Amino acid sequence: MEVQTTRFGPIQIAAEDLIRFAEGLPGFPECREWVLLADGRNAALAWLQSVDQPEVAFAVVSPRRYVPGYRLHVARRELEPLEFEDLQAVRVLVILGKSDRSITLNLKAPVVINLDRRVGRQVIANGDLAVQHELPGPAAARKRIA
Amino acid sequence: MLVLSRQRDESIIIGDNIVVTIVDIRGDKVRLGIEAPTEIPVHRREVFEAIQRENLLASRVQPRDVSPLRHPSPARNTPKAD
Repeated sequence: MEVQTTRFGPIQIAAEDLIRFAEGLPGFPECREWVLLADGRNAALAWLQSVDQPEVAFAVVSPRRYVPGYRLHVARRELEPLEFEDLQAVRVLVILGKSDRSITLNLKAPVVINLDRRVGRQVIANGDLAVQHELPGPAAARKRIA
Repeated sequence: MLVLSRQRDESIIIGDNIVVTIVDIRGDKVRLGIEAPTEIPVHRREVFEAIQRENLLASRVQPRDVSPLRHPSPARNTPKAD
């Protein structure tokens, strides 16, 4: 099947690539079907692209590669709909945003995906975690040059 | 808005499977117990709204916005002390 995207043009995907978010994501309750796309330039980066809305996509990374020691603590009921038996099948990803100064990570609400069952949910983690955790980096400087 | 008076240990039921119980009342703080099917997300409203706002902003991020993202350093498996 072909998925329309504003960032990457039309993309061919197989039905088994689809990941279903039964409740959508906060702010996007109608976006139920998503696909995870690798970024061509940065192997650490992926895009969670809405199948329903071509302009809706989230840049995502594995949080532990950028925030050493990040561990997800979440209420059991938050994970139950994901029905995973094998932890190996679970991917935890965080959504990238941007502040005036830098790229940010939403550590408070990671996306958890069960790759076996192809279902996902954006969960709300316990604890005092930032919705916009700023990454050190040259983002601000580059923006001014551009 | 429907407003109901409840005392401690009393509940209200929403639909046929969501029960909200007043667990404790101390001063201006009320503790609620919520029983709901797991497919129904239950969150503190201000937290949910902050995530909604952040998602709306993040959904507009373009590849050029994240191009300064550094490649992570190779996973260093620092041995644990224990």
